[in-house]
Amino acid sequence: MASNPMQQFTVHRIGPEIKIAGIDLSFTNASLFMVISASIILLFLFMGSKEKKIIPNKIQLITEMFYTFVAKMISDTAGSKAKPYFPFIFSLFMFVLFCNMVGMLPYSFTVTSHIIVTLIMALFIFVAVTIIGFIKHGFKYLSIFVPSGVPTILLPLITIIEIISYLSRPVSLSVRLFANMMAGHTMLKVFGGFVVSLGVLGGWLPLSFSVALTGLEILVAFLQAYVFAILTCIYLNDALNLHH
Amino acid sequence: MKRYVSFLITVFVINTNLFAAEAGMPQLDPTYWASQAFWLILVFTILYVSISKFYLPKIKENLDNRKNKIEEDLEYANKFKEQSEAKVKEYEHILENAKKEVSKIHFESKNNLSKEIQLKKATMEKEIEVEISKVQKEISELKKNSISTIQNISENISSKIIENISGDKLNESSIKAAVEEISKKNINKYL
Repeated sequence: MASNPMQQFTVHRIGPEIKIAGIDLSFTNASLFMVISASIILLFLFMGSKEKKIIPNKIQLITEMFYTFVAKMISDTAGSKAKPYFPFIFSLFMFVLFCNMVGMLPYSFTVTSHIIVTLIMALFIFVAVTIIGFIKHGFKYLSIFVPSGVPTILLPLITIIEIISYLSRPVSLSVRLFANMMAGHTMLKVFGGFVVSLGVLGGWLPLSFSVALTGLEILVAFLQAYVFAILTCIYLNDALNLHH
Repeated sequence: MKRYVSFLITVFVINTNLFAAEAGMPQLDPTYWASQAFWLILVFTILYVSISKFYLPKIKENLDNRKNKIEEDLEYANKFKEQSEAKVKEYEHILENAKKEVSKIHFESKNNLSKEIQLKKATMEKEIEVEISKVQKEISELKKNSISTIQNISENISSKIIENISGDKLNESSIKAAVEEISKKNINKYL
Protein backbone atom coordinates (compact mmCIF):
# COMPACT_ATOMS: atom_id res chain seq x y z
CA MET A 1 0.00 0.00 0.00
CA ALA A 2 1.56 3.24 -1.13
CA SER A 3 1.33 5.91 1.52
CA ASN A 4 1.92 8.78 -0.90
CA PRO A 5 -1.48 10.30 -1.67
CA MET A 6 -0.19 11.82 -4.92
CA GLN A 7 0.96 8.46 -6.26
CA GLN A 8 -2.52 7.76 -7.61
CA PHE A 9 -2.05 10.56 -10.15
CA THR A 10 1.09 9.19 -11.79
CA VAL A 11 0.83 8.39 -15.46
CA HIS A 12 2.60 5.33 -16.74
CA ARG A 13 2.88 3.73 -20.11
CA ILE A 14 0.80 0.69 -20.98
CA GLY A 15 2.04 -1.43 -23.87
CA PRO A 16 4.61 -0.38 -26.43
CA GLU A 17 6.16 3.04 -26.73
CA ILE A 18 4.68 5.07 -29.58
CA LYS A 19 6.84 7.92 -30.83
CA ILE A 20 5.76 10.14 -33.69
CA ALA A 21 8.24 12.80 -34.86
CA GLY A 22 10.14 12.54 -31.61
CA ILE A 23 7.02 13.11 -29.46
CA ASP A 24 5.99 10.40 -27.02
CA LEU A 25 2.36 9.52 -27.73
CA SER A 26 2.33 6.19 -25.88
CA PHE A 27 -0.89 4.66 -24.63
CA THR A 28 -0.96 5.33 -20.88
CA ASN A 29 -3.27 4.55 -18.01
CA ALA A 30 -4.78 8.03 -18.55
CA SER A 31 -5.54 7.10 -22.16
CA LEU A 32 -6.98 3.79 -20.99
CA PHE A 33 -9.43 5.50 -18.64
CA MET A 34 -10.40 8.03 -21.31
CA VAL A 35 -11.22 5.10 -23.59
CA ILE A 36 -13.09 3.33 -20.76
CA SER A 37 -15.17 6.45 -19.97
CA ALA A 38 -15.97 7.07 -23.62
CA SER A 39 -16.87 3.41 -24.10
CA ILE A 40 -19.20 3.48 -21.09
CA ILE A 41 -20.90 6.61 -22.47
CA LEU A 42 -21.31 5.07 -25.92
CA LEU A 43 -22.54 1.76 -24.51
CA PHE A 44 -24.94 3.61 -22.26
CA LEU A 45 -26.30 5.71 -25.12
CA PHE A 46 -26.49 2.63 -27.34
CA MET A 47 -28.56 0.79 -24.72
CA GLY A 48 -30.67 3.88 -24.18
CA SER A 49 -31.50 4.51 -27.81
CA LYS A 50 -31.70 0.90 -28.99
CA GLU A 51 -35.41 0.49 -28.47
CA LYS A 52 -37.65 3.34 -29.49
CA LYS A 53 -40.49 2.91 -27.12
CA ILE A 54 -43.27 5.36 -26.43
CA ILE A 55 -43.15 4.28 -22.81
CA PRO A 56 -39.39 4.10 -22.11
CA ASN A 57 -37.61 1.46 -20.08
CA LYS A 58 -35.22 2.51 -17.32
CA ILE A 59 -32.04 3.00 -19.34
CA GLN A 60 -33.89 4.81 -22.12
CA LEU A 61 -35.47 7.05 -19.51
CA ILE A 62 -32.04 7.89 -18.07
CA THR A 63 -30.55 8.78 -21.46
CA GLU A 64 -33.57 10.92 -22.22
CA MET A 65 -33.19 12.60 -18.84
CA PHE A 66 -29.56 13.42 -19.69
CA TYR A 67 -30.68 14.75 -23.06
CA THR A 68 -33.41 16.99 -21.65
CA PHE A 69 -31.16 18.06 -18.76
CA VAL A 70 -28.42 19.32 -21.09
CA ALA A 71 -30.93 20.72 -23.59
CA LYS A 72 -32.64 22.68 -20.83
CA MET A 73 -29.30 23.89 -19.47
CA ILE A 74 -28.33 25.24 -22.89
CA SER A 75 -31.66 26.86 -23.67
CA ASP A 76 -31.78 28.45 -20.21
CA THR A 77 -28.31 29.96 -20.33
CA ALA A 78 -27.53 30.54 -24.02
CA GLY A 79 -30.96 30.65 -25.67
CA SER A 80 -32.12 29.08 -28.91
CA LYS A 81 -29.13 30.34 -30.91
CA ALA A 82 -26.91 27.81 -29.12
CA LYS A 83 -28.81 24.83 -30.54
CA PRO A 84 -26.12 23.90 -33.13
CA TYR A 85 -23.61 23.53 -30.27
CA PHE A 86 -25.82 21.14 -28.33
CA PRO A 87 -23.98 17.94 -29.43
CA PHE A 88 -20.65 19.41 -28.37
CA ILE A 89 -21.86 20.52 -24.95
CA PHE A 90 -23.68 17.23 -24.46
CA SER A 91 -20.49 15.27 -25.32
CA LEU A 92 -18.43 17.53 -23.09
CA PHE A 93 -20.78 17.16 -20.14
CA MET A 94 -21.02 13.40 -20.54
CA PHE A 95 -17.26 13.02 -20.96
CA VAL A 96 -16.36 15.07 -17.89
CA LEU A 97 -19.11 13.49 -15.82
CA PHE A 98 -18.16 9.93 -16.71
CA CYS A 99 -14.41 10.60 -16.30
CA ASN A 100 -15.13 11.99 -12.83
CA MET A 101 -17.44 9.10 -11.92
CA VAL A 102 -15.10 6.40 -13.24
CA GLY A 103 -12.37 8.09 -11.19
CA MET A 104 -14.44 7.44 -8.06
CA LEU A 105 -14.01 3.69 -8.45
CA PRO A 106 -11.17 2.25 -6.32
CA TYR A 107 -7.88 1.56 -8.17
CA SER A 108 -9.06 3.64 -11.13
CA PHE A 109 -7.47 6.75 -12.59
CA THR A 110 -9.15 10.14 -12.72
CA VAL A 111 -8.53 11.62 -16.16
CA THR A 112 -9.88 15.05 -15.18
CA SER A 113 -7.45 15.35 -12.26
CA HIS A 114 -4.71 16.28 -14.72
CA ILE A 115 -4.25 19.93 -15.53
CA ILE A 116 -3.17 19.18 -19.09
CA VAL A 117 -6.46 17.42 -19.88
CA THR A 118 -8.70 20.12 -18.43
CA LEU A 119 -6.51 22.87 -19.88
CA ILE A 120 -6.82 21.46 -23.40
CA MET A 121 -10.58 21.27 -23.09
CA ALA A 122 -10.78 24.78 -21.64
CA LEU A 123 -8.44 26.21 -24.26
CA PHE A 124 -10.43 24.59 -27.03
CA ILE A 125 -13.63 26.09 -25.62
CA PHE A 126 -11.96 29.48 -25.22
CA VAL A 127 -10.60 29.56 -28.77
CA ALA A 128 -13.82 28.21 -30.26
CA VAL A 129 -15.97 30.72 -28.40
CA THR A 130 -13.72 33.59 -29.44
CA ILE A 131 -13.83 32.49 -33.08
CA ILE A 132 -17.62 32.11 -32.94
CA GLY A 133 -17.89 35.59 -31.43
CA PHE A 134 -15.82 37.18 -34.18
CA ILE A 135 -17.68 35.26 -36.92
CA LYS A 136 -21.07 36.31 -35.58
CA HIS A 137 -20.31 39.94 -34.73
CA GLY A 138 -17.06 40.85 -36.47
CA PHE A 139 -15.07 43.51 -34.68
CA LYS A 140 -18.16 44.50 -32.73
CA TYR A 141 -17.37 41.45 -30.58
CA LEU A 142 -14.61 43.54 -28.96
CA SER A 143 -17.40 45.59 -27.34
CA ILE A 144 -17.65 42.71 -24.82
CA PHE A 145 -14.70 44.40 -23.09
CA VAL A 146 -16.51 47.75 -22.84
CA PRO A 147 -19.55 47.39 -20.59
CA SER A 148 -22.27 49.98 -21.04
CA GLY A 149 -23.29 52.40 -18.31
CA VAL A 150 -19.79 52.81 -16.84
CA PRO A 151 -18.48 56.33 -16.01
CA THR A 152 -15.91 57.53 -18.58
CA ILE A 153 -13.17 57.94 -15.99
CA LEU A 154 -13.46 54.30 -14.95
CA LEU A 155 -13.77 52.98 -18.49
CA PRO A 156 -10.04 52.27 -19.17
CA LEU A 157 -9.68 50.45 -15.85
CA ILE A 158 -12.88 48.43 -16.38
CA THR A 159 -11.80 47.53 -19.91
CA ILE A 160 -8.44 46.26 -18.66
CA ILE A 161 -10.20 44.23 -15.96
CA GLU A 162 -12.61 42.81 -18.51
CA ILE A 163 -9.78 41.81 -20.83
CA ILE A 164 -7.92 40.11 -17.98
CA SER A 165 -11.07 38.28 -16.85
CA TYR A 166 -11.76 37.19 -20.43
CA LEU A 167 -8.22 35.89 -20.90
CA SER A 168 -8.25 34.11 -17.55
CA ARG A 169 -11.36 32.11 -18.51
CA PRO A 170 -9.47 29.02 -19.75
CA VAL A 171 -7.26 29.04 -16.65
CA SER A 172 -10.15 29.35 -14.20
CA LEU A 173 -12.22 26.79 -16.10
CA SER A 174 -9.45 24.21 -16.22
CA VAL A 175 -8.01 24.78 -12.76
CA ARG A 176 -11.47 24.59 -11.14
CA LEU A 177 -12.10 21.09 -12.43
CA PHE A 178 -8.53 19.84 -12.02
CA ALA A 179 -8.09 21.22 -8.49
CA ASN A 180 -11.45 19.90 -7.32
CA MET A 181 -10.77 16.41 -8.57
CA MET A 182 -7.19 16.34 -7.31
CA ALA A 183 -8.03 17.73 -3.88
CA GLY A 184 -10.92 15.32 -3.40
CA HIS A 185 -8.93 12.27 -4.37
CA THR A 186 -5.96 13.35 -2.28
CA MET A 187 -8.20 13.79 0.74
CA LEU A 188 -9.70 10.34 0.22
CA LYS A 189 -6.23 8.85 -0.03
CA VAL A 190 -4.97 10.67 3.07
CA PHE A 191 -7.90 9.50 5.14
CA GLY A 192 -7.49 6.02 3.72
CA GLY A 193 -3.85 6.13 4.81
CA PHE A 194 -4.98 7.16 8.31
CA VAL A 195 -7.29 4.19 8.52
CA VAL A 196 -4.39 1.87 7.73
CA SER A 197 -1.83 3.52 10.02
CA LEU A 198 -4.21 3.90 12.99
CA GLY A 199 -5.33 0.30 12.72
CA VAL A 200 -8.36 -1.38 14.27
CA LEU A 201 -8.30 0.77 17.40
CA GLY A 202 -8.08 4.29 16.01
CA GLY A 203 -9.08 3.86 12.41
CA TRP A 204 -12.83 4.17 12.79
CA LEU A 205 -12.95 7.96 12.84
CA PRO A 206 -10.97 8.48 9.60
CA LEU A 207 -12.93 5.59 8.09
CA SER A 208 -16.23 7.33 8.78
CA PHE A 209 -14.70 10.51 7.34
CA SER A 210 -13.65 8.55 4.32
CA VAL A 211 -17.18 7.24 3.80
CA ALA A 212 -18.65 10.72 4.13
CA LEU A 213 -16.01 12.12 1.77
CA THR A 214 -16.82 9.48 -0.82
CA GLY A 215 -20.42 10.69 -0.86
CA LEU A 216 -19.22 14.29 -1.09
CA GLU A 217 -16.83 13.41 -3.90
CA ILE A 218 -19.61 11.81 -5.94
CA LEU A 219 -21.57 15.03 -5.53
CA VAL A 220 -18.50 17.06 -6.52
CA ALA A 221 -17.93 14.82 -9.53
CA PHE A 222 -21.41 15.60 -10.81
CA LEU A 223 -21.28 19.24 -9.78
CA GLN A 224 -17.97 19.95 -11.48
CA ALA A 225 -19.16 18.36 -14.72
CA TYR A 226 -22.28 20.50 -14.50
CA VAL A 227 -20.26 23.64 -13.73
CA PHE A 228 -17.89 22.93 -16.59
CA ALA A 229 -20.77 22.52 -19.03
CA ILE A 230 -22.77 25.49 -17.77
CA LEU A 231 -19.75 27.82 -17.88
CA THR A 232 -19.20 26.72 -21.47
CA CYS A 233 -22.83 27.64 -22.13
CA ILE A 234 -22.35 31.03 -20.49
CA TYR A 235 -19.23 31.78 -22.56
CA LEU A 236 -21.10 30.67 -25.65
CA ASN A 237 -23.98 32.95 -24.69
CA ASP A 238 -21.57 35.90 -24.46
CA ALA A 239 -20.32 35.12 -27.94
CA LEU A 240 -23.78 34.54 -29.49
CA ASN A 241 -25.78 37.31 -27.85
CA LEU A 242 -23.87 40.55 -27.36
CA HIS A 243 -25.63 42.33 -24.54
CA HIS A 244 -23.62 45.51 -24.49
CA MET B 1 -9.47 12.58 23.18
CA LYS B 2 -6.43 14.87 23.43
CA ARG B 3 -4.12 11.93 23.06
CA TYR B 4 -6.09 10.70 20.08
CA VAL B 5 -5.83 14.11 18.36
CA SER B 6 -2.08 14.38 19.00
CA PHE B 7 -1.69 10.86 17.62
CA LEU B 8 -3.62 11.89 14.51
CA ILE B 9 -1.43 14.93 14.05
CA THR B 10 1.80 12.92 14.32
CA VAL B 11 0.51 10.41 11.77
CA PHE B 12 -0.49 13.25 9.47
CA VAL B 13 2.94 14.89 9.80
CA ILE B 14 4.69 11.62 9.02
CA ASN B 15 2.45 11.09 5.99
CA THR B 16 2.91 14.60 4.64
CA ASN B 17 6.65 14.36 5.17
CA LEU B 18 6.60 11.18 3.16
CA PHE B 19 4.93 12.60 0.14
CA ALA B 20 6.63 15.98 0.39
CA ALA B 21 9.91 14.15 0.12
CA GLU B 22 8.77 12.38 -3.03
CA ALA B 23 8.45 15.65 -4.97
CA GLY B 24 4.91 16.89 -5.41
CA MET B 25 2.43 16.56 -8.19
CA PRO B 26 2.73 14.10 -11.06
CA GLN B 27 0.36 16.40 -12.96
CA LEU B 28 3.21 18.87 -13.51
CA ASP B 29 5.54 16.26 -14.98
CA PRO B 30 5.51 16.97 -18.74
CA THR B 31 6.65 13.51 -19.87
CA TYR B 32 3.18 12.37 -20.93
CA TRP B 33 1.53 15.72 -21.66
CA ALA B 34 1.71 15.21 -25.40
CA SER B 35 0.38 11.70 -25.07
CA GLN B 36 -2.49 12.79 -22.88
CA ALA B 37 -3.36 15.65 -25.23
CA PHE B 38 -3.23 13.33 -28.23
CA TRP B 39 -5.40 10.64 -26.68
CA LEU B 40 -7.84 13.18 -25.25
CA ILE B 41 -8.35 14.78 -28.65
CA LEU B 42 -8.65 11.39 -30.35
CA VAL B 43 -11.09 9.90 -27.84
CA PHE B 44 -13.15 13.05 -27.52
CA THR B 45 -13.38 13.46 -31.29
CA ILE B 46 -14.60 9.89 -31.69
CA LEU B 47 -17.05 10.41 -28.83
CA TYR B 48 -18.30 13.71 -30.26
CA VAL B 49 -18.75 12.40 -33.78
CA SER B 50 -20.57 9.25 -32.72
CA ILE B 51 -22.79 11.15 -30.28
CA SER B 52 -23.68 13.97 -32.66
CA LYS B 53 -24.11 11.84 -35.79
CA PHE B 54 -25.62 8.74 -34.31
CA TYR B 55 -27.04 8.86 -30.82
CA LEU B 56 -28.45 12.35 -30.39
CA PRO B 57 -30.59 12.22 -33.56
CA LYS B 58 -31.94 8.87 -32.37
CA ILE B 59 -32.81 10.18 -28.92
CA LYS B 60 -34.26 13.36 -30.40
CA GLU B 61 -36.36 11.40 -32.88
CA ASN B 62 -37.70 9.24 -30.09
CA LEU B 63 -38.50 12.25 -27.91
CA ASP B 64 -40.19 13.96 -30.86
CA ASN B 65 -42.17 10.82 -31.60
CA ARG B 66 -43.40 10.72 -28.05
CA LYS B 67 -44.25 14.42 -28.10
CA ASN B 68 -46.14 14.03 -31.36
CA LYS B 69 -47.97 10.99 -30.05
CA ILE B 70 -48.98 12.84 -26.90
CA GLU B 71 -50.12 15.83 -28.94
CA GLU B 72 -52.07 13.59 -31.29
CA ASP B 73 -53.71 11.83 -28.38
CA LEU B 74 -54.57 15.15 -26.80
CA GLU B 75 -56.05 16.32 -30.08
CA TYR B 76 -58.14 13.17 -30.29
CA ALA B 77 -59.24 13.64 -26.71
CA ASN B 78 -60.26 17.22 -27.44
CA LYS B 79 -62.15 16.14 -30.54
CA PHE B 80 -64.03 13.51 -28.60
CA LYS B 81 -64.71 15.99 -25.85
CA GLU B 82 -66.17 18.44 -28.34
CA GLN B 83 -68.25 15.69 -29.86
CA SER B 84 -69.57 14.63 -26.51
CA GLU B 85 -70.35 18.22 -25.61
CA ALA B 86 -72.29 18.63 -28.85
CA LYS B 87 -74.19 15.44 -28.06
CA VAL B 88 -74.98 16.70 -24.59
CA LYS B 89 -76.27 19.95 -26.08
CA GLU B 90 -78.39 18.04 -28.56
CA TYR B 91 -79.74 15.88 -25.80
CA GLU B 92 -80.59 18.91 -23.70
CA HIS B 93 -82.30 20.49 -26.67
CA ILE B 94 -84.38 17.39 -27.25
CA LEU B 95 -85.21 17.20 -23.58
CA GLU B 96 -86.34 20.82 -23.53
CA ASN B 97 -88.51 20.34 -26.60
CA ALA B 98 -90.04 17.28 -25.06
CA LYS B 99 -90.75 19.20 -21.88
CA LYS B 100 -92.40 21.96 -23.85
CA GLU B 101 -94.49 19.45 -25.75
CA VAL B 102 -95.49 17.75 -22.55
CA SER B 103 -96.65 20.97 -20.98
CA LYS B 104 -98.48 21.86 -24.18
CA ILE B 105 -100.24 18.51 -24.29
CA HIS B 106 -101.01 18.80 -20.62
CA PHE B 107 -102.52 22.24 -21.09
CA GLU B 108 -104.55 21.22 -24.12
CA SER B 109 -105.92 18.11 -22.58
CA LYS B 110 -106.79 20.02 -19.45
CA ASN B 111 -108.68 22.57 -21.51
CA ASN B 112 -110.45 19.90 -23.50
CA LEU B 113 -111.41 18.03 -20.42
CA SER B 114 -112.74 21.07 -18.65
CA LYS B 115 -114.72 22.06 -21.74
CA GLU B 116 -116.18 18.60 -22.01
CA ILE B 117 -116.95 18.54 -18.35
CA GLN B 118 -118.68 21.88 -18.60
CA LEU B 119 -120.66 20.74 -21.61
CA LYS B 120 -121.72 17.54 -19.92
CA LYS B 121 -122.55 19.42 -16.78
CA ALA B 122 -124.75 21.81 -18.71
CA THR B 123 -126.62 19.07 -20.55
CA MET B 124 -127.01 17.13 -17.34
CA GLU B 125 -128.35 20.18 -15.58
CA LYS B 126 -130.81 20.75 -18.37
CA GLU B 127 -131.93 17.16 -18.23
CA ILE B 128 -132.21 17.38 -14.50
CA GLU B 129 -134.25 20.55 -14.73
CA VAL B 130 -136.54 18.98 -17.28
CA GLU B 131 -136.91 15.94 -15.12
CA ILE B 132 -137.50 18.08 -12.03
CA SER B 133 -140.18 20.15 -13.75
CA LYS B 134 -141.82 16.97 -15.00
CA VAL B 135 -141.80 15.47 -11.59
CA GLN B 136 -143.09 18.68 -10.04
CA LYS B 137 -145.96 18.71 -12.50
CA GLU B 138 -146.72 15.12 -11.67
CA ILE B 139 -146.59 15.91 -7.99
CA SER B 140 -148.92 18.88 -8.32
CA GLU B 141 -151.28 16.81 -10.44
CA LEU B 142 -151.11 14.04 -7.89
CA LYS B 143 -151.79 16.54 -5.18
CA LYS B 144 -154.82 17.91 -7.01
CA ASN B 145 -156.08 14.42 -7.68
CA SER B 146 -155.40 13.39 -4.18
CA ILE B 147 -157.41 16.32 -2.84
CA SER B 148 -160.47 15.32 -4.84
CA THR B 149 -160.08 11.62 -3.98
CA ILE B 150 -159.55 12.50 -0.34
CA GLN B 151 -162.69 14.61 -0.48
CA ASN B 152 -164.64 11.75 -2.05
CA ILE B 153 -163.30 9.24 0.44
CA SER B 154 -163.95 11.54 3.34
CA GLU B 155 -167.49 12.19 2.00
CA ASN B 156 -168.12 8.46 1.83
CA ILE B 157 -166.63 7.82 5.24
CA SER B 158 -168.52 10.67 6.83
CA SER B 159 -171.84 9.65 5.22
CA LYS B 160 -171.24 6.06 6.37
CA ILE B 161 -170.33 7.19 9.88
CA ILE B 162 -173.40 9.37 10.06
CA GLU B 163 -175.53 6.53 8.70
CA ASN B 164 -174.15 4.11 11.23
CA ILE B 165 -174.55 6.55 14.11
CA SER B 166 -177.94 8.00 13.25
CA GLY B 167 -179.34 5.29 11.02
CA ASP B 168 -180.58 7.91 8.61
CA LYS B 169 -179.30 8.81 5.28
CA LEU B 170 -178.15 12.37 5.14
CA ASN B 171 -178.32 14.58 2.19
CA GLU B 172 -175.33 13.97 0.03
CA SER B 173 -174.91 17.61 -1.03
CA SER B 174 -174.87 18.87 2.55
CA ILE B 175 -172.14 16.35 3.49
CA LYS B 176 -170.18 17.43 0.51
CA ALA B 177 -170.44 21.00 1.49
CA ALA B 178 -169.35 20.28 5.06
CA VAL B 179 -166.39 18.21 3.98
CA GLU B 180 -165.38 20.83 1.49
CA GLU B 181 -165.54 23.47 4.14
CA ILE B 182 -163.31 21.53 6.56
CA SER B 183 -160.91 20.46 3.88
CA LYS B 184 -160.53 23.99 2.68
CA LYS B 185 -159.72 24.98 6.23
CA ASN B 186 -157.15 22.23 6.75
CA ILE B 187 -155.82 21.50 3.30
CA ASN B 188 -153.25 24.26 3.60
CA LYS B 189 -151.53 22.32 6.40
CA TYR B 190 -150.68 19.46 4.01
CA LEU B 191 -149.96 21.30 0.82
